[in-house]
Amino acid sequence: MKTRKLLRHRLDTGRHSIATALLTSCILAATLSANPAHAAGTLAGTDIQNIASATFDTAGGPVTIQSNTVVIKVDELLDVTVASTDPGDVTTSPGATGNVQTFRITNTGNGDEAFGLTANVANGGDDFDPTLQQIVIDTNNNGVFDAGVDTVYTSGVNDPVIAPDQSVTVFVITTTPAGVVDTNRANVSLNAVARTGTGTPGTSFAGAGQGGGNAVVGSTTAQATANGFLAVRATSVVLLKSATILDPFGGNRPVPGAVVTYSLVATVSGTGTMNNLVITDPIPVGSQYQTGTITLEAAALTDAADADAGAFTGTSITVAAGNVPAGQTRTVTFRVLIP
Amino acid sequence: MMKSLKTNFTALLALTGASSAFAATPLQLTSDVYVERQTERADGTKKVTLEKPTLVTPGDSLVFVVKYKNVGTETASNFVVTNPLPAAVKFDGTSDGLEIVSVDGGKNWGILGNLRVAKADGTTRPALRSDVTHLKWNLNQPLTVGAEGKLIFRGVVK
Repeated sequence: MKTRKLLRHRLDTGRHSIATALLTSCILAATLSANPAHAAGTLAGTDIQNIASATFDTAGGPVTIQSNTVVIKVDELLDVTVASTDPGDVTTSPGATGNVQTFRITNTGNGDEAFGLTANVANGGDDFDPTLQQIVIDTNNNGVFDAGVDTVYTSGVNDPVIAPDQSVTVFVITTTPAGVVDTNRANVSLNAVARTGTGTPGTSFAGAGQGGGNAVVGSTTAQATANGFLAVRATSVVLLKSATILDPFGGNRPVPGAVVTYSLVATVSGTGTMNNLVITDPIPVGSQYQTGTITLEAAALTDAADADAGAFTGTSITVAAGNVPAGQTRTVTFRVLIP
Repeated sequence: MMKSLKTNFTALLALTGASSAFAATPLQLTSDVYVERQTERADGTKKVTLEKPTLVTPGDSLVFVVKYKNVGTETASNFVVTNPLPAAVKFDGTSDGLEIVSVDGGKNWGILGNLRVAKADGTTRPALRSDVTHLKWNLNQPLTVGAEGKLIFRGVVK
């Protein structure tokens, strides 16, 4: 729809001589500003219409005329950015399923555009490759992965269509292999490509733009990739057993009547906390457990299976050491008699 | 290279018809728009060319050319040209600065540096190029028969 405005404003400021600048001089004098990457901007398909009008006086009175109308259609600019929106590495553990990494895809072009998504779990330069389970679109747009609510993405079937300057959140769901160890990291990247087309900036697709114009690849090349990292947080425990002997003669020989004190030192290493650490040790065959000698961190425990952490089962001792942060040790002792 | 600026005679004929209410149409007024492209030469310097706008995307620089010519038989005086800026275009200056502008849809006019824009809190701020809605040129010389000229302004696609 062409709109024509007729303006009949008369002179109201100082007059100037007729500008006779040639077009060439205009261009040479003009400041050349680099075009910054525009987010959205004028919507694709918008018509830019220019029309000038003039008023003047003749002997016959005032006259108003209009120029021709120049119409230019704004083409669709294909631009996209992808960013990892996780605050840092996403924690995982050996064999963990359902790792959730979050990415945001933003249409920085000026038309509605469908984007194809690809997750790459086999990037180089990292310690392990997780297995891709799913790419999921944050359908309810709450920024949180809701299993069974958010829609599983299938390339070419439900490519998200994003309006200019709008974003879509996508979750990449992966499984961590069992063989990884603490501090291992994995790079999981997400790539988004404009379905209309990609290429070097300036590449155009005739008639493919929204609103009937062309589509032109913008400065982002119409595709973008972002990296996100998984980091393994795992604990391991090493149990060290030692024995000291006190014989009836004040020496340290394993003779009948000697009492052996066993010491079990559990050392937790890695990152995080080892939960529900239980230390058990069978009573050596041929020896006799000395009742009431279980200690944990030098504190005496009872032999009964009760609220207290220690117990003697008849053939072995067991101590529930609880949750032990990495870097700490728990020491259990008990005594047996060599009959 | 720069393309020659062709007068759009078809449009002029249409214009003549539309203005038949007047005794004559003694002036021609034509509007042309070009898009400015920068390309890099092999030696790294930049070359600027003007093209007919076949591809226009946000951020592109446009050059508007308004040409006028007295094709009548008598001198025209008090000649004023007005060009409303298309909504999708941000004003980016003229070569000679002889224009006056409006930042309020054509109600008030002046040199851009003298205009102010009302803010939401009731105060005002100096007007910027991005506020410009209309351009106007007041030509103080009578336009004699056969006299012609052109007015040029620049814009950026928003």
